[in-house]
Amino acid sequence: MTCTLGEVKNRADFIIYWGGNPAECHPRHFTRYTLTQKGKFLPRGRKDRTMVLVDIRETMSAKAADIFLQVRPGKDFEMLTILRALVKGQTVSAEAAAETGLTLEQLQDLVNRMKAAKFGVLFFGMGLSMTRGKHMNSAAALILAAELNAYTKFVAMPMRGHGNVTGADVVMRYTFSYPFGISLTRGYPRFNPGEYSTIDLLVRGDNDATLVLGADPGATMPKPAIEHLTRTPTIVLDPKVTHTSRLARVHITTSVAGISAPGTAYRMDEVPMPLRPPLKSPYPSDEEVMKKIVAAVQKKPAWYPVTRTGAQVT
Amino acid sequence: MPVMHFLLMPIRTNKQGVQINVGKDGDEYKTIVSTMTMHPEDMMELGVVSGATIRVRTEIGEAEFQCKEANVPRGMLFVPYGPPTCQLMGGDTDGTGMPTSKGWDVEVEVVEPTPPQLLP
Repeated sequence: MTCTLGEVKNRADFIIYWGGNPAECHPRHFTRYTLTQKGKFLPRGRKDRTMVLVDIRETMSAKAADIFLQVRPGKDFEMLTILRALVKGQTVSAEAAAETGLTLEQLQDLVNRMKAAKFGVLFFGMGLSMTRGKHMNSAAALILAAELNAYTKFVAMPMRGHGNVTGADVVMRYTFSYPFGISLTRGYPRFNPGEYSTIDLLVRGDNDATLVLGADPGATMPKPAIEHLTRTPTIVLDPKVTHTSRLARVHITTSVAGISAPGTAYRMDEVPMPLRPPLKSPYPSDEEVMKKIVAAVQKKPAWYPVTRTGAQVT
Repeated sequence: MPVMHFLLMPIRTNKQGVQINVGKDGDEYKTIVSTMTMHPEDMMELGVVSGATIRVRTEIGEAEFQCKEANVPRGMLFVPYGPPTCQLMGGDTDGTGMPTSKGWDVEVEVVEPTPPQLLP
């Protein structure tokens, strides 16, 4: 249950940031979409909105919040579960609430405000999705937002990270039906995070070569994954010299998307934005290099038997 | 040298994001990703001052950081993601595809309790 940031700007009167620090990591979020903008149904802008921050420490974003709730590290799932119980009017003990580092009154007040909102939105960041509980935390947050729709309009949206990570998910989804962790080894897409996802493949040493596009795993991935990239042939397409390009066997310098190469970037709400490059580059774009690689690969004979009759359509 | 246990939270910051685009070879980026913030009382207990060098160890590996006092909860360390934190991160994803990127139990050992510029 989600929406675009335009809807947030025009309608959201109650905004929760959970496990994220937008003041540092998404510095335009407050001013462009969520807090200070005047919306169609929120003519007074900031004065018409309430912002709650849930985090384990008082970050810079806490200064922008009306309410700051300091949850105990690793207790997000418990807090979300208590909120779901309170939303349904179930009894929660003060001891259970205290486990989260907050009082029952604070949690009940949050629930009352969520229910009273005209349009609520829950933005959740890595502080929720990458701590203990991981996808179960994200699922609990999404279920909470869904259940609140019995009382008011409530949506949830992940605070996506660098550049065009959303674009990678969207393109994978409309091409293969899945956003990541896809295996095409049987000629059709199979999805299984933990088995076909990049880090698991690298850590287990399942792949014997890696093509890296628009990423720097050498400076972001766990040590065992980096060690496998170093051991096996790695090919990198990147405009700059990076930690990954240094450990790679081949580094192809490409132009910078949005600066000297056209393309499409997807906003965190999955709205596509065309990129019009203001500069020209002597280097090819990622797309041009990939097309040449695909053309060269297609000239090679297939290693598996190719049927002569073509694909069957049912 | 004493060894203490902490909960390490790798984070992201605005300056780190800017420096990623400037270049990861720059001194500013290297300083950002190797500066760890901690509670002043934890620093006192560990016997270090701001700028001191500490060694952080997990079951995967170890890396050295400079500490800096900040308004953070006691018993916790915060440092922007970067090559030093990669050395500490394990590859187990619990079947989700993403490794546990926050909330690591770490051992901290003092390497240099006083920054070199403060030594007599």
